[in-house]
Amino acid sequence: MTAPRVVVSGLGFVTSIGNSQAAVTESLRTLRSGIESYEFMPGANLPIKVVGTLKEFDTTSLQWAGWKWPEGYKFSREVLRGMAPHGLYALCASEQLIADARLTAADLTADDTGLFCASAGSPRLIRHFLNQIHESRGERIPPMGVVSTIAGTLNFNLAAHFGIRGAVAGFVSACASTTQAIGYACDEIRLGRLRRVLVVGGEDLNMESVYSFHGMRALSRNPDPTRASRPFDRDRDGFVGTGGAAALVIELAESARARGAPIYAELLGWGQAADGYNVANSDPDGRGLSMAMRRALADAKVAPGEIDYVNAHATSTPVGDASEAKALHATFTAVGAHPAVSSTKALTGHGLSFSGAMETAFCAVSIAQGFIPGTANLENPDPVCAGLNLPRTTLPIAPRTVLKDSSGFGGCNVCLVLRRWEP
Amino acid sequence: MITVALAQKRINESLVGFPPRVTEAYLAFAEHGDVASLDIVVLGVLHFYLAKKTSEPLDTLPGTTRLVEDLGCDSLTMMDTVFMAESLLDIKIDDSQLARLSTLDELLGYIRTQVKNRATTAA
Repeated sequence: MTAPRVVVSGLGFVTSIGNSQAAVTESLRTLRSGIESYEFMPGANLPIKVVGTLKEFDTTSLQWAGWKWPEGYKFSREVLRGMAPHGLYALCASEQLIADARLTAADLTADDTGLFCASAGSPRLIRHFLNQIHESRGERIPPMGVVSTIAGTLNFNLAAHFGIRGAVAGFVSACASTTQAIGYACDEIRLGRLRRVLVVGGEDLNMESVYSFHGMRALSRNPDPTRASRPFDRDRDGFVGTGGAAALVIELAESARARGAPIYAELLGWGQAADGYNVANSDPDGRGLSMAMRRALADAKVAPGEIDYVNAHATSTPVGDASEAKALHATFTAVGAHPAVSSTKALTGHGLSFSGAMETAFCAVSIAQGFIPGTANLENPDPVCAGLNLPRTTLPIAPRTVLKDSSGFGGCNVCLVLRRWEP
Repeated sequence: MITVALAQKRINESLVGFPPRVTEAYLAFAEHGDVASLDIVVLGVLHFYLAKKTSEPLDTLPGTTRLVEDLGCDSLTMMDTVFMAESLLDIKIDDSQLARLSTLDELLGYIRTQVKNRATTAA
């Protein structure tokens, strides 16, 4: 019996480098950055000066009725009233996704269509709603306060909106969440439980969601938008935050083909492993990540030397990037493999729980469009990277097989292996 | 006591996206305490949260219009409406009383009473 083949058959983007697949592709190809100067608290002289901004959106209002989004999307109050800002972003990305994948309403509500989501919830709205309860001494509780704020808000809202019936799940593995969601979606399809899974990740972009990371000194204090996010560089000093949403359809190949959906890549396999080391920091030797890479390669039945491109997690933190470089050495350099490695976070900033979905979608674009994006802002590679193939400019090379890795708090490491669709 | 300044603050913070007719009525109610303005505010809030909007403002519909059967009010619509009405008018709406309200007239009558009782208690 032939094993089921799983593919990526639709994409949707609301990111700092573009709100459409066309814009994102152009930004990746030309290494156009989405990072700009930003005031987390107007008037306060905070040490963090830049983020990956979202264009054409305004979600500064605490009321959904005050939000603005790009022309062309029509959402009713009924849909928005239970959402956080990143719910709006995810809704826009999902609308793109459904159109791109040529999914009908009947496809979405089929018994074998699932929805896997991830976000950190909305710290800003949680604060607002809890303040209302405290200030009224418990007399006033916003009715939609829970469903619009807690981790899970994306699954609650999108599942109801699209009428999902196959399965609904949320992932809370921090910055590895949506990569893990894609992995489990792959398994559900291979096990024959689901025909397709919409994987959607999103994050707010505001002081509460991003600046909070300064508490552990994880954010770059470099005020220069063109140099702050510099993965693998000797002078990196932290990540640059961003918000937005990304969405993919993970689907049984025969189902996507039958519908005439675009097939961007085949998802050959995935793997995960944990550090067992620290609540926030990566294992400095990258052991868990290296094991996740090897497990993904084994599941995909791919040798290290077959990997043409690695879209790295590399967020531009001193500890994390070094740990990842060691994992790459252990997995690839040690066996004589030298795939091109880049981090697109130099362009986008770090999208936290949706970064995995966003960057897996970037890999799908890279495979389908035939280029490898370089790492922007990389001037002096960290000595720990010596021996890694780190292109600084876009390579006009069509990668056949790609590895995407992600790591999150608690030492969660997840890797995916994708390949150009070869029927 | 809802002052005009307090009403304006609440309009800016909570009535984002509401039509000017409703926000102006809320300001008028804060200034004069008149029932006509109060009714426009209450019905404007209900209309805002309806899943399927009526083409006409609710205050132009018969008072016998039924909340569930005619307007399609679900429990979340009523909870949103109650939360906003309580927040704007400084009243408390009792859950058991709410369940007994079935028409626009009954809703308006109940809230008028709560507002009147609040004013009496405050005095």
